[in-house]
Amino acid sequence: MKSISELTDFYYNSLYPAIESLEEQRKALVHQLVTIFTAIAALAVTGIFIRWYYFHAFDLFSSIFVIAGAIIAAWRYEHMIQDYRDAFKMRVMKPLIEAIDSTLRYTPVAAISQSLFEHSGLFQRRIDRFQGDDLVQGSIDSVNLQFSDLHVESQTQDSKGNMHYITIFQGLYIVAEFNKHFKSRTIILPDSAEKIFGNVLGNWFQSKNLGRDPLVTLDNAAFEKAFVVYSSDPIESRYILTHTMMERLLNLKKKVAHPVYVSFVDANIHIAIAYNKDLFEPTVFESLLKYDNAMSYIHALSLAVGIIEELKLNERLWSKK
Amino acid sequence: MPFLIAIGVIALILILMYNSLIARKNQVDNIFAGVDAALKKRFDLIPNLIASVKEYMTHEKELLSKITQLRTEGMKPGLSDTDKIALDQQVTSALGSLMISVENYPDLKANENIMNLQRTLNETESQIAAARRAYNQAVTDYNNIIEMFPTNYMATWMNLTRKEVFAVTENERENINVKELFNAS
Repeated sequence: MKSISELTDFYYNSLYPAIESLEEQRKALVHQLVTIFTAIAALAVTGIFIRWYYFHAFDLFSSIFVIAGAIIAAWRYEHMIQDYRDAFKMRVMKPLIEAIDSTLRYTPVAAISQSLFEHSGLFQRRIDRFQGDDLVQGSIDSVNLQFSDLHVESQTQDSKGNMHYITIFQGLYIVAEFNKHFKSRTIILPDSAEKIFGNVLGNWFQSKNLGRDPLVTLDNAAFEKAFVVYSSDPIESRYILTHTMMERLLNLKKKVAHPVYVSFVDANIHIAIAYNKDLFEPTVFESLLKYDNAMSYIHALSLAVGIIEELKLNERLWSKK
Repeated sequence: MPFLIAIGVIALILILMYNSLIARKNQVDNIFAGVDAALKKRFDLIPNLIASVKEYMTHEKELLSKITQLRTEGMKPGLSDTDKIALDQQVTSALGSLMISVENYPDLKANENIMNLQRTLNETESQIAAARRAYNQAVTDYNNIIEMFPTNYMATWMNLTRKEVFAVTENERENINVKELFNAS
């Protein structure tokens, strides 16, 4: 696998002609968007002004102009950036992924399936909206791997009776084949209870988490502080979470600086990293050549593909081949 | 009426204490059954391992017979948990020595059958290590509850005594690395 610096070179050298032409497309798009948004805003303001001038009213009817303007603007925005977004994915993301490993397959419009996501057991809320894109599938060092961007939401009602969506998970979702045989389910979640209530009380709350498998207390203080582990088998959970694996997961958590959720189920490891934003999307109002933007694509991709090396999933020390 | 409520509350607390002590005790026994299963799995591997290496390993006859003897002892019925714990340490150390000795035999190192056995042994060692860690945690929870106030009084009345944990050395904390042992993937 190529290093981050090699990929950065690839982005700025090999992909430069494509990015340059996309930059032209982006600038023209920004110009069009600004023109259209200004026109929509002007129409909305005119509507409000007419309402006020002729009917001396500034009421609910006036706000309809603003709402209608916002809806038209959002619809136009999605519609107008579609071509630019598709071009970015095919001309930048696809070659970038192939540069990491030529055997990886990239499907911009597909995602990890909802059944696979639910099967991980990581998130227990009812799912009402499941969206995702940028699916990458392949095999690295003979280890099967797939990952995609996901946005999973649940519908809820507030105190006024209004329905709205709340995010269950948004970020990078990785599923890879695990290198040991196991039958149980082990779930690792970020430890929020111990952070809020301290060791003893936090541990008590965690052990009372109905709907989860029994709590497993592990013999690594730093890991215990960072994560909470539930498993259907106390021995198998420790067979999976050896001291070295706990250290590797801690390193991963430090590296990503976002909440990390891990599940070991049905011969696979599921890793959900809550970036809380849509990844692998082209910037519209900022240059694609901007270093931070380039690095956000490269970092997320090399993290997802590098998970096999990071967690040493390619080590075949056990009878599983 | 308040008197009856007080009696009821006390009775409920006593029942909860009793049940949590029994749950901890049973948890230790259940996990020890898992340790036992993993140890048995390793004992089952030994005859095959010895048979495969003895032709090559002419200088380690003593070590091989020691491993066989430890296996015979370990398979005896009626061994106490403490005996099993002590025996496990000896078997782990003897098998560790055997695997290091394999290094001196290039033919053996390259043997596919030995490689497979090594993988299975490695897997079993990892399962034993996991079972030991689970057991130690269950015993720590159990020892804590029988020594903590107020459950310590009930534990004394129930004749519950401290249990021993497996000693986990620094070496055992690391996974055995086949690559290092065999210098091959």
